[in-house]
Amino acid sequence: MKYVIKATITVIAVVIIIVLYSGLYTLEEGMQAIVVQFGRPVGEPVTEAGLHMKLPFVQEVRRFEKRLLVWDGDPNQVPTKGREFIWVDTTARWRIADAKKFLENVASEAGAQSRLNDIIDSVVRDQVSSSELVELVRSASWEVPEDDVLKEVPKEREEELKKEIARGREEITRTILTEAQKIIPQYGIELVDMRIKRLDYVESVREKVYERMISERKRIAAQFRSEGEGRSAEILGTMEKELRRIRSTAYRQVQGIQGKADADATRIYGNAYNKNPEFYAFLRTLESYKDKANPNAVLILTTDSDFYRYVKNAEPGKAGVAAVPQ
Amino acid sequence: MAEQNQPPGASTPTLEEVLEKTQRQFRRFKGGPILVLAVVVIGVLWTAWFTVQPEETGIVQRFGKVMRTAGPGLHFKLPYGIEKVRLLPTARVLKEEFGFRTLSAVPGEKTRYDTRGGYKDESLMLTGDLNVIDVQWIIQYRIEDPIRYLFQVRDTSKTIRDTTEAVMRRAVGNRLGSDVLTTGRVAVASEAKIEIQKILTAYETGVRLVTVELQDVTPPDTVKPAFNEVNESRQDKERTINKAQEQANREIPKARGVAAQSISEAEGYALERVNRAEGEATRFEAILAQYKEAPQVTRRRLYLEAMTGLLSDMKGLYIVDQDQKAMVPWLPLKSGEQQPSAPGRQP
Repeated sequence: MKYVIKATITVIAVVIIIVLYSGLYTLEEGMQAIVVQFGRPVGEPVTEAGLHMKLPFVQEVRRFEKRLLVWDGDPNQVPTKGREFIWVDTTARWRIADAKKFLENVASEAGAQSRLNDIIDSVVRDQVSSSELVELVRSASWEVPEDDVLKEVPKEREEELKKEIARGREEITRTILTEAQKIIPQYGIELVDMRIKRLDYVESVREKVYERMISERKRIAAQFRSEGEGRSAEILGTMEKELRRIRSTAYRQVQGIQGKADADATRIYGNAYNKNPEFYAFLRTLESYKDKANPNAVLILTTDSDFYRYVKNAEPGKAGVAAVPQ
Repeated sequence: MAEQNQPPGASTPTLEEVLEKTQRQFRRFKGGPILVLAVVVIGVLWTAWFTVQPEETGIVQRFGKVMRTAGPGLHFKLPYGIEKVRLLPTARVLKEEFGFRTLSAVPGEKTRYDTRGGYKDESLMLTGDLNVIDVQWIIQYRIEDPIRYLFQVRDTSKTIRDTTEAVMRRAVGNRLGSDVLTTGRVAVASEAKIEIQKILTAYETGVRLVTVELQDVTPPDTVKPAFNEVNESRQDKERTINKAQEQANREIPKARGVAAQSISEAEGYALERVNRAEGEATRFEAILAQYKEAPQVTRRRLYLEAMTGLLSDMKGLYIVDQDQKAMVPWLPLKSGEQQPSAPGRQP
């Protein structure tokens, strides 16, 4: 008898524990739950974390995220309005706004992911292919570069740089977000934000862009070198001019100084020698005899020369008188 | 229970026997229930306390609901199954790298980076002039609000990375490539920091950015040589100019000196010329004054003196009688000296 009572108590205790266990559930912070009875949602979603009750056995709990979730799309190859093919990689943030709708429409996060893929991809394609590449890359606050920057850029690309940005990446992104937001709420999903994470040329275009960049750089390099050579020639030219100026000025001065000196000397000689030209001629001739003395010269004089006239005759009158006039 | 694992064929005791045996053993051990109780109590106590490290914050959840946060030190909580703790390093500055990865940063050793270069997808981006640029950067952040960090956003670090990449690309895309390479670095980083923080705050990530720093900003590898060439050409330009300037600097001062020299020489010449002229004029006038006193004698004296000087320097002198002109042709004019030096010609 005692054994039976004991067993009964034990069984009741076990049953109570099982019922309690099945009738209570915990909800983690950042989660929400829907109570489902025979597959049909019952009541409003439970969003408060903590310990909750439900009917044991007949009801089960489906838990969903309440937090902000990541959507990361596959990069897409999309042509822009200007027919350039680019890779567009977008990322979005979403959350389960209405757990009930969410459960009914997409059931799970994987389901949501694929719906988001479809919707965002198509909106992104629409927007990208109706925009110029520059609009996608730049923002509305794009400042047209100043003229000295434009000098480094070839003429044909200048237009592109000067182009005013009508929408810009931010505006395009906003449009993508609002377009997608129009469709998405029916799934119980709130699309919080959408951003273009990466934008890249496709491989073949990228090669072309690299080639263009290289040629641009080479052009600039050539310009630098040529500038250097030009400047060098300029400096050398200036130098040549300066040299010629210095030398010719000096020459002019030298000629002037020397000419004046020569003139002065001429005047001085003239003044002095004019006092007796005949004597000057005599004196100067004698001096030049001395100056022009040649150690190898042989002189033949006749005895009737003025110097040797006494060799033959000591009388002054005869030969000397005749010799002097000669 | 060990008996059940015995291979078939061995003597298997019935269930009743086993129960009876266990019960007997249990009764024999008097302290049994106390031991079980002790184990349970120790287990409960063991899960009723936790320590929080200095750089951490503990978040205590009761049945999943956040109850309180705990700073560094020893804390108590309700035991296992009721309350649980999550620890987050809130005081530590966390780092995300973009375009590169640090493999190891051991103090006192050279920091090693992943050199496989598999992060070009992150670092290559388009600039406003539609060129491609390779930007590596880092962000540092702290978890300011651990509750938001854990419970407002799932996979917060992925969100931080995505947001940072999107913002950095937008900022770089709104500038010229040459600008980002040089002067625009700081502006890009600070602009990105403000924008990233704004977005992360809007997401309620509970994260506070400490800094956004651009690391290596370079042209893509294929284009690098061309960029280097531009730098070289800039050097070439300077060098060519310097060379020309050097030549000018070398020649012009020298030419100035030479000019000054020639002018001075000319002045010297002028002085000399005038002085000589004056000297000679004075001398002439002096002689002339004396000559006027006795012209005939002086004239003859001067003549004779000059002739004496002249004749003394001569090699030879022939005095010929005026009437004997016929002998002149026989004079050995010079030939007498030259012929002995050429022996073959001597007759």
